Amino acid sequence: MKRLILLVVSAVLAFSAFGQEKIIIRIAGHSVDKPVKEALIRDVVAPKLPPNVEVVFEPVVDDYKQWLLTMLAAGTPPDIFYVDVYWAEEVVKTGRVRALDEFLAKSEILKKEDLIPVLVDAFTVDGKLYAISKDFNSLVVFFNKDMFDAKGVPYPSADDDWFTFWDKVRRVHNPPEWVGICLNPDFARFLPFAFAAGMPFLNPDGTAPFARPEAIAAAEWFSAPIRAGFGATAADLGVGWPGAAFVEEKAAVVIEGGWLIPPIREGAPLMKFGTTFLPTFGGRRGNYLFTVGYGMPVDEILPSKRPDLVWKVIELLTSPEAQSYILSIGHAIPSRAALLSHPVLASPADPFQEAMRTVFIATGLPGTVPFSFAPVGSIYHVAVAEALTKIFTGELSPAAAMQEAAKKLNAELKR
Amino acid sequence: MSWLRGPRRNELFWAFLFLLPLLWTLGVAFAYAFFRALWWSFCDYDLFASPKFVGLANYAKLFADLHFLKALFHSLSFAVIVTFTQTFLALLLAIALNQKIRGLTFFRAAFYTPSILSSVIVGLIFIWFTYRRGVVNFLLTVARNYYPYFLSFLGLVIVMQSTLVLWGRKRGFPVRAFDPVYLWISLFVGGVGAFFLGHFRLIQPKSMPPVDIIWLETAEKFLGIPRPLWAIMALNIGTTVPTMMLFFLAGLQDVPRELYEVAELDGASWWAKLWYVTIPALRPVMFLVITLGLIGTLQMFDQAAITSGVAPLDSVITLAYYVYWNMFGAGGLPRVGMAAAAAIFLAVLTLVVVLIQRRVGIGEKAW
Repeated sequence: MKRLILLVVSAVLAFSAFGQEKIIIRIAGHSVDKPVKEALIRDVVAPKLPPNVEVVFEPVVDDYKQWLLTMLAAGTPPDIFYVDVYWAEEVVKTGRVRALDEFLAKSEILKKEDLIPVLVDAFTVDGKLYAISKDFNSLVVFFNKDMFDAKGVPYPSADDDWFTFWDKVRRVHNPPEWVGICLNPDFARFLPFAFAAGMPFLNPDGTAPFARPEAIAAAEWFSAPIRAGFGATAADLGVGWPGAAFVEEKAAVVIEGGWLIPPIREGAPLMKFGTTFLPTFGGRRGNYLFTVGYGMPVDEILPSKRPDLVWKVIELLTSPEAQSYILSIGHAIPSRAALLSHPVLASPADPFQEAMRTVFIATGLPGTVPFSFAPVGSIYHVAVAEALTKIFTGELSPAAAMQEAAKKLNAELKR
Repeated sequence: MSWLRGPRRNELFWAFLFLLPLLWTLGVAFAYAFFRALWWSFCDYDLFASPKFVGLANYAKLFADLHFLKALFHSLSFAVIVTFTQTFLALLLAIALNQKIRGLTFFRAAFYTPSILSSVIVGLIFIWFTYRRGVVNFLLTVARNYYPYFLSFLGLVIVMQSTLVLWGRKRGFPVRAFDPVYLWISLFVGGVGAFFLGHFRLIQPKSMPPVDIIWLETAEKFLGIPRPLWAIMALNIGTTVPTMMLFFLAGLQDVPRELYEVAELDGASWWAKLWYVTIPALRPVMFLVITLGLIGTLQMFDQAAITSGVAPLDSVITLAYYVYWNMFGAGGLPRVGMAAAAAIFLAVLTLVVVLIQRRVGIGEKAW
């Protein structure tokens, strides 16, 4: 008798396990995103999915692109991964990322018209869309209003050109309490100014453009604070990045993106600060568009084997509720065009919301290009970065350094 | 095959069984990986498309690549300089710590600490120390501004010690030049004297501008080797000397006491004992230390990887970092063929260097 009961019970248990097959969908993102993503999944995504589907966020602590390439090569990627515009083309070229056009066409919640056009272009390779942009960012000028008031200098504004801007920074420079600007020899800050000066990405004959007079002029202008002494690098101020110098009130001005807003909110919530667009040169302004999107691997290596469900999760992660949530915590600007009329962006109530509004408008201004170096690759910015480092340490003059960078890039391009 | 029967066979079976985990790990992680890398070094492969056989083209491309040649030069000079210096310093330290002095255990533990710290963490702290306004430059500035104090302290100590020693010898005592008691007195007098000289303004600290040496974010060279690499050499020596010192200490315990007694009977001085007894007896340990040093320094990767964030690539690139850079750093898809070729080259180079050292330098047989 006992054996019979045991048999029946185990049979029931065994069969009940088959009834509701549990599907796990894995999203892999940067480990810093963990709290936000898990809250998003819990509050916005999970309620709308069938009960046997579980969405799990797996943080990646390594270099993300490296990790992703290894996973794609090994055939064990997550269901959803981040795609950064900086290396989007590289990853798509592996042939293991799924094109999303057919899903978009059939979707009821997410349509191509819903997304901001420049963000769709950023992830389109060879006419096909490979990732849905989840947010974007660009560069603006952050300035500390109290420091400008103390020195009686007018605030930087959208009307500033390169020369009036440096003039204001020079006047607000106040050693030893604060420096005018905290500036690193960062190619991502320098190149938009070089492009605004008229330097093309490559010369028409495909060679490096760094030896052009516009490029050298931009290098001279960009390094002026360090060479003339009214600015300092982050290392000289004893901080890890210029944003930290701004939050710790060691610098009056920094050039950063919307990612500086959460640190200010945490580290200096009462700071009176303002934001404005980058200064112009000859009426032209340059900027970089930074954006990250969600992508999925091709069906053959999709771990959950349910592309329809994975697409549904992507839809939910980029839904109006999800993006509204992200906007309200000031994390980044959402990619849905409809959210542009959200009160936070339309009528900002505090400096943080104003800053987000400035970032958002700056992205749409002419002269903004996606932060991508395809098809030349990272050798482009490595040459620029080394030139900038040598200019900032005084090892070489701007002209000599830029010419050396041009020679280096040309040598690499010939390989 | 009579020896393979009975208890012997049983023993062999159990030996093999116990060795199996190690053999499995060696087989998978080493043999399989090695032969696969060897195969890939003859292919053009990017991890996604299937490998295309290209023969020796990768090796030819290696020698045409400026980055590789720089990496080769850096690795060789790094290996030679660091191995030589760390062997020398480790030997000195071991001999010093082999005396019977008070607090010996404490000193041994204290000197060993740099080796047990994680090299990544030590590397990060090292980067902070070598900022332009960092600790190293600060200490150099202090040294530069306060050198009158150091010089006067040193001068007073020398004067005091010579006076005491000569006075003691005049009275007929066999006083050694570095007699500890007199030395403590001289140090005390020197310290107090320097302090009072400063107090009464007879010597003053200089106020020179702060030392502003850029240690890492530069491509400048010193004696043909980039300055960041010199900084990494200093770091590497500091963290490896303690481990080598341990080997030497162990070796020193094995030197037969009779040899020292015989030497003393023959009237050998401290220096003669060191040169004619200790060092020759330590030859097997020295062979070990030099070989391990060469292998480790030729394959130096972690410190180059950490400082590559702040220093220019061409100033810190080593062969091991070149392998990594071809796989993940250069942008674009991984260049597996080049990376594998460089890795195989590095393995062969290490083997050749060690063999040369064994033939031409310190051999492994003791005296």
